[in-house]
This record gives sequence, C-alpha cells and structure tokens, in this order.
Amino acid sequence: MIQIQNLKKSFRTEEVETLALNNVNLKVEDGEFTAIMGPSGCGKSTLLNIIGMLDNPTEGSYQFAGHEVAGLKERQRTELRKGNLGFVFQSFNLIDELTVFENVELPLIYLKMKKSERREKVMKVLERMKIAHREKHFPHQLSGGQQQRVAISRAVVTNPKLILADEPTGNLDSKNGTEVMNLLTELNQEGTTIVMVTHSDHDSHYAHRVVNLFDGQIVTESHNRKIGAMI
Amino acid sequence: MYKNYLKIAWRSLKKQPFFTFLNTFGLAIGIAGGLLISLYIHDELSYDTMFADAERIHRIHADIKFGGDGRKFAVTPAPMAETVQNDFSEVELAMRFRTQGSILLRKTGTEANIKELQTTFVDSTFFKMFGLALLSGDIKTALKSPNTLILTKSAAEKHFNSNDAIGQTLILDNDDSYTVTGVIADFPQNSFLRDHTVFMAMSGYEDSRIVNWGSNNYQTYIKLIPSANIEDIQQPLRGFLGKYVVPGVQQFMPGITEEQFKAAGNYLIYSTMPMTDIHLKSDRVAEISGNNDIQSIYILSFIAIFLLVLACVNFMNLSTAHSLKRAKEVGIRKTLGSNRGELIRQFLIESGLVSFGSLLLAIILAIILLPLFNDLADKDISMPYANPFFWLILVGSGILLGLFSGSYPAFFMSKFIPVKVLKGTGNNSLGGSKVRNGLVIFQFAISVFLIISTLVVYQQLDYIQNKDLGFSKDQVLIVNDAFSLGNQAESFKEEVKKLSYVENATLSSYFPTPSSRSDSTFAPEEGLTDQENAVSMQRWGVDFDYVSTMDFEIIAGREFDRNFKSDSTSIIVNESAVSVMGISPQEAIGKRYTPDMGDENPEYYTIIGVVKDFHFSPFRAEIESLSLHLTDRAYALAVKLESGDFSKALAGIEGIWNKVAPGQPFDYYFMEDSFNDTYQSEQRLGRIFFIFTALSILIACLGLFGLAAFNAEKRTKEIGIRKVLGASVSQISYKLSIDFLKLVGIAILVSLPLGWFAMNKWLEDFSYRIEIGVWVFVLASFLAVVISIITVSYQSIKAAIVNPVKSLRTE
Repeated sequence: MIQIQNLKKSFRTEEVETLALNNVNLKVEDGEFTAIMGPSGCGKSTLLNIIGMLDNPTEGSYQFAGHEVAGLKERQRTELRKGNLGFVFQSFNLIDELTVFENVELPLIYLKMKKSERREKVMKVLERMKIAHREKHFPHQLSGGQQQRVAISRAVVTNPKLILADEPTGNLDSKNGTEVMNLLTELNQEGTTIVMVTHSDHDSHYAHRVVNLFDGQIVTESHNRKIGAMI
Repeated sequence: MYKNYLKIAWRSLKKQPFFTFLNTFGLAIGIAGGLLISLYIHDELSYDTMFADAERIHRIHADIKFGGDGRKFAVTPAPMAETVQNDFSEVELAMRFRTQGSILLRKTGTEANIKELQTTFVDSTFFKMFGLALLSGDIKTALKSPNTLILTKSAAEKHFNSNDAIGQTLILDNDDSYTVTGVIADFPQNSFLRDHTVFMAMSGYEDSRIVNWGSNNYQTYIKLIPSANIEDIQQPLRGFLGKYVVPGVQQFMPGITEEQFKAAGNYLIYSTMPMTDIHLKSDRVAEISGNNDIQSIYILSFIAIFLLVLACVNFMNLSTAHSLKRAKEVGIRKTLGSNRGELIRQFLIESGLVSFGSLLLAIILAIILLPLFNDLADKDISMPYANPFFWLILVGSGILLGLFSGSYPAFFMSKFIPVKVLKGTGNNSLGGSKVRNGLVIFQFAISVFLIISTLVVYQQLDYIQNKDLGFSKDQVLIVNDAFSLGNQAESFKEEVKKLSYVENATLSSYFPTPSSRSDSTFAPEEGLTDQENAVSMQRWGVDFDYVSTMDFEIIAGREFDRNFKSDSTSIIVNESAVSVMGISPQEAIGKRYTPDMGDENPEYYTIIGVVKDFHFSPFRAEIESLSLHLTDRAYALAVKLESGDFSKALAGIEGIWNKVAPGQPFDYYFMEDSFNDTYQSEQRLGRIFFIFTALSILIACLGLFGLAAFNAEKRTKEIGIRKVLGASVSQISYKLSIDFLKLVGIAILVSLPLGWFAMNKWLEDFSYRIEIGVWVFVLASFLAVVISIITVSYQSIKAAIVNPVKSLRTE
C-alpha cells in the first residue's frame, strides 16, 4: 500500500533550515496496522501529513498503491485522496456548523454521490458506530468520545483503503480512548490499513508494528506478537 | 453541493450575529447611498429626453465679445431661426422662444389678477418641434394668430376652474387681451419648460419680425432632418458674422468690416448644443430655466463609487478577519477532498447571501430615506418600481457587489493550508493582515478626504454669505409688480417710506440679486466710432433713492440728486467700468458716454459718480462694468427695513398695496433669500457632502470596530499574559489601539495632499474664493483620529478589563 524511500522533508524559515524527516524508508502492507511513535518534534506528524498527501516531501519517493505521489500538484493530490484516505484527528476537527449527519456526509458530497445513496451509507456507518441517535445534533452538543466516533464515522464512510489517525485518543479519557481503539482495530480486521501516530504506549499495542522516530529518522521498528492483545 | 454551501453559510452567519450585522449593515448603507445617488444622476441625465426626436433637436448659441468683456449667450437674434431654415437643407424645422418672465392675468370682466411666473412667446412650430399634442383645441390653428395663447392644464384649471378654457379671453398685465386656443399637458419636472405655463403666439410680438442682427433675445431651437450631421452646419453658422451681422452693424458703424471687428479683439461665434446636453452643460446668459452643472454629477458619481467601494472594502476586511475562525473548516474540507475551486464557490455563495441581504436592507433604507434625500437635493424623485430595468440593474449590481467584495476573502480563505490550520497553531500567522491594513488605510483616506472637502465647501459658502458684497442685502424687502400700479408707483413708494419701520425705499427693475439684466455698449464722446474705446456695461434704470437704499459706497463724485435737473442725463458707473475705460474714478467724473453708437444725434450721459464695485453676479464670475441711470419705469419696489419685527412691516406695506392696487396679488421676497438661492447648488453640494461624509465615516468606523473586536479576540492570550505580568488596563488599551491609530495616521498623510489638490481645483471655479487654511487639514486629521480612538478604544478597554484567568483559559 505504502512504499517510502529516502524521504526527506525540510522547513525553511528566514534564517534556519530544519530537517524534519531525514532519509525515511517505510513500507506498509495492505491490511497492516502501523503505529508511529516518538518524542515531540521528532517528525511523526510531518510523516503522517506526507502519507496523507496533505504535504509534499522535499526529496525522495512516496508510492501510494503503486502511484508515485511525491511532486504531485495540490489538485492531483486532492483527487487521489478522495475516497482512498480517511483521517482521524486528536482534536476531532468536526465542522461546528454542520450536524453529525452532515459532517459524515461531507466526503460523499465531494465524491459527487447521489443523495439517496449518501443517506444510506451515512446511516449505516452511524449505526455501526452507535451514534445514529445523535444524527441531528451539532458537535458541541456531544461528548468528546461521541465526537471522535463521529470523526471515525466520517473517516470510514467512503470505505477508504487507508485510515490515518493522529493521536486519536489524545483528547479522550481512558474509557472513551479504549472504545476508539477497539473501533480502529475492528476496521483493521475488516481489511482497512491503518497508520496511527501516538504518544501512548498503551495505544501502540493495538498495532501490528511500531515504528519509532527520533530527530526525523526511523530508529527502531518492532512487531507486536499478540495482535489485538488489549481487546 | 450548493445546498450544503447555502446551509453552512446561513448557519455560520447566524452563529456570528455581530459580524453578520456589521457586514450586512455596512454594505447596505453603501448600497442605499449608491442607489439614491444613482436615482439622482439618472434623473439629471434624463432632462429633455422625453420630447419626440430629442436627439435631433439643438439650440443655437452666441459667444460675443464686443466693448470690453466676452459673454456666452443662450439667445440669438430674431432673424436667426428663419435664416438657418432657409440657408441649411439639414434643418427640418426652427422655432424661437422669447421669454417674458412673470405676467399678471385676469379673465375679462374680472378685476383680480393671478400671476403666472414663467411665460413666453413661441413660434407656431412649437408643437411640431417638440412633438406636443393638445389636450383641447385645434393644433393646426393654435398659436397661429396674434393675441392667442395656449395654457398648460394646471394653468387652465387655475384661471377657468374647468377644463373648458378654449375660446376664453385673458387680459395680460392689465393691457392686452388674448384668446385661449389650446391646452397642453403640464411639462414634466425634468424638462426645460417645467415652470412655463403660458405660451403666447409669436406672431403678435412686433420685435420678432424685425430683422435686427444686433440684439440677442431669442432662444432658437432647430430640428435636423434624420440623416443630417450637426457638425456640417457649424462652419457655415460661423460665417453668419460676415454674411448677416456685419452688414447689419454697418448701419450704425459705417465702414466697419469683419476684419476690423476681429482685429479690435472682438468676436462673435455662433454654435449649437444638443438640447439634451443643455441641462448639465450649459451655463449661459438668458437660459430658459435653471441648469445644473455636470461637475456636480461627476462629484456625486465619485461619492457614490467611494461609498460602494468603502462598503465593499469593509466587507472584505471583516470577512478576511473573520475567516481566521473558519480556517479549521477550510482545512477539514480540503482534507476531505474539496478542491480550491469548490471552496471559492462556497465562500462566494456566502458573500452573495450577505450582499443579497444587504441589497434588501438597502432598498428598505432607500425607500425610508428617499423623502429626506429629495429635500436635500431639491428633487422629486420616486422609486421606479414598475421599471423592470431598475430591478434588473439592482439585482445585477447586487450580484456584482457580492462577487467583488467576496472575491478577495474567498481567494484568501481557500488558500489556507490544511496541515497548518488543523494544528490550530497557525491562526495568528495566516497572513492577509497587510492587505487588511491597506484596506483600513484606504477607507480612512477616503473619509479624511471627504472631511476636508466638506470643510472647504462650507467655508467657501460661509465666505460667500458673509463677504462684503458692496451693498446691503439684509432687511431688504422686494415688492414685485410695482409696474402694475402705473403712475401710482411713486406715491406707493412715498407712502411706504412714511411707515415708521422703513428706512428707505427705491423703485427699479434691477437689483444686485437675480432680477432683470440689460446691457449696452457705450462709446465716449471723443472717438465715437472707434470700437476700441467702446465699453460694454450693464445698464440699470433706477431712481433717486437707489444708491442710498442699496447702501452703495460712492468713491468719486456724487449720487443722483433731485436738485440737479441735468441728472436725467447722468450716469453713475462702477469701478470695473472706469478700469475698462482706462481712467481713474476721479478722471471719469464729467466724461460723456452714449449708448447710441451710430445715431446721427446720440444722447450723451455724463458720469457724475463712481460706486465701489459690488457683487451682482454669483461669486463664480468677475464683477462686470455697470452703469446706473434715472428712469421712472420700474418693476419692483425695494424697501430697506429697520431691524425688528418684519411681520409688522410686511402687514403695513401690504395694507398700502391693497389700497393702491385692489385685486392685485401682493408678491414679495427678501433680498437675502434671493441671494441665498443663487448659491443653492453650492449649498446643496455642501449638504450632500456632509451627509455622505458622515455615511462614509460610519462605514469606515463599522469596519474598524469589527476589526478591533476581532483583534482583541485574537490577542486574548497575549492580553492575559501581559496582565499576569503586571500590565495595567490603560497600557493594554493603548497597546491594542495604537496599531489602528498608526493606520489612520498613514491614511491622513495620504489624503491631505489629495484633498488640497482636489479642493483647490473646485475653488478655481470661483472668481472670489477662500484660501484653504492649514486649520482645515489639522481639524480633518483631528476628527479622524478622535473618531477612530472612540471606535477602537471601546473594544480595547473591553478586552483589557477581562480577568486574565479567563483570558488564559480560552487558549
């Protein structure tokens, strides 16, 4: 699914050039659940943004499902992203002015799907995430756990090949956090590839593989033997 | 997709009622102002377009310089109309007006006169020229015979109390009887004939048949054949000088040639102007009705554009400031697959929604304000509800405004980079602040410019109103129609003078405020036929009390005196006249001049006095040469009153009038009012400037208020930290306000030279004008600073007094 080779990303401010990622090589297979860990500022989020095609690398190659992504224009990246990728953020990033239903419906609108089809898909995913009874509520009327369930619903409603999760439990208490991690595991077991950035050792145990980043480089990779140990 | 755009737009507007209000209200004020001004300009541009074949109708003008000063006349000689019709195959039709001003009318068999203010003789081709139809009467014969007239519908109803006026007889000025042969509809307000109510047959007017190329009294209109080009007759029209005028002048200046006439610095140029241009482009001697100045249309157009641009800028500023709150949404949408085009469309729909709301509010505002605006602009404009073009243009401009003002925020917002905005760290560094600052500078520069303009216009008006005019206009009452008293006029004057509150009184047709004007060319006794010595002067007939009643200052010689029998052939001239003569006031005394150039036995007038120059034309014009002579023919009585209760004085004078002239209307005005009327267009401009300056400042303040609110909100955390570290409320308020004041300071620096330049240009139109003082700029800058401090400080202080614990918690 993902093949990254010699990837570099640097940020230039007025005087200093900061190397955020330095010669990163990473391969993620279809159906794999990968966790990326590391201290603050090690380049985790930068890597996730590049994998999510929200940002372009400075150097190196990134192939997504066989397509070279590095160097694509924003418009082309947008097209590739649509329907293939789902995002889950630490701060949920729901649109405050839209209801639960409308937030989840949004990626389907950008895919220009018919209304009746949209309704069916959204309701199905909401029911699965046990949040259908809140479809008419606005984000600020929900608890943090509920908001993240909506965000996950939105990420999976297009049946993406890959879900990118950036600290998905960072803003949640442990009960809600566990619930979210279980949901991600369930999706993974159904075949969705997941790449998750996390600080939490606890959460990293849900992944098949943990990649440790330090100062922009992958320093260790370890495989969890007991998949789904925490379920 | 669009439904989703609309939905989110509506919810986002609803969620921020304060910003939505500022945005909608600011834009609505701009649109309402622009709408009112557009209606005014549309009305001004529509003058005289209602006549059939209006585009083929032109008026012939004469620019004449002979004997001192050059003047532009709207009138030409009596034979002009017939001559152009005969000489030019391009001319389909020609007709003349010979305006008569006010006339007293009464039905035969009655005593009471009713006054009609605007009357004129017209050729019988009047109907054909303007495509007029008669409401009653026979168009083939109406105005053909002498002593016939036609009335407008309202005049007919006034005099005959019925629609059946045809065949009735009217006595004009207690003298001639005329038969009514037709009734026409009243002329619309945007027609040059709007105030004319009585049209008499030219065939009964003796002077119109005399072939005299030396006197200009007739407004001559021509209609071209459809295929003709007006330019083709301009050159031959200039040739009329040699072909017709010079041969005519040779009668009293034998041997004069066109070359000699021109060599002496004189000229006579005939030209034409399209009828539909006259209202805005003609300012000539003897216009049929008061015209406006195209400059005021330009100024108003600028103001309208300023207002709309200001309002749009406001919209852009508030939207981009506010958009930082929408950054997250943009990031999410982009992450979920929205491209930039879709986001631009979304935000444009949102601004379209606001501009549509503003448009509705603006229409309501304009409907409410229209009566006030009509008062302000001296108009009778109504909303053209039934006109589909009006709605089309309105909706079209609403969409354009929405696109224009929404475009920058849309492009600005759609550029947000999701990686940055979703982190929530980039909010303060999203950029656009340079553009916003530029827009605030632009808004305030316009406001300061308008403040300077308003101050200068008012200062010039004040200068006009308080300048030493060289005569006393205060407490002078003019009683019209004294001529109708016949030989009783003098005893009426003497009776009035006996009243205790009357200082003095004088009979004349000529006053320094708008009244009759008459000029003649005078030649000195020595060098009678030498045109270089000729002096063209106003020639006013007055009585013995004129100079003292008007309070003129004699600078040489004396005023008219009943004890000098010879004064019937004396004249008093003004300073300008003696300077044209090239002599000093003292040298002028005793010199003899005659207006009868070319006569075998010219009548000479001896100069017995020189008066200090006084203003009898608007300040736009230089003071012309002028002479006063004694006459017993007078149109009006001017009464100088003592200060006090004018109503008593009025009652006393009216009592005497009713005794000597029973049945005649008592018609009067105060000289000061008439003087002020002369500056109506300046006063109107002053008022309009004032109102629209206030509006533009209001819009700019709304924008600044919104930006200050936004800025305070954005800096909540900074304010909290500063307070924790010990900053006082005043230090924080200062910190928050000073950035905006810097922008206002730059705006002031930009607008001062522009204001100075533009207002000097405007003042150039006045021969007598103020110098723009430094205080104008100081005051304008001071006002802008004070207004912006008040606007910004509310938000700054509000933010500064918040408990820092609360400020820091919001992070």
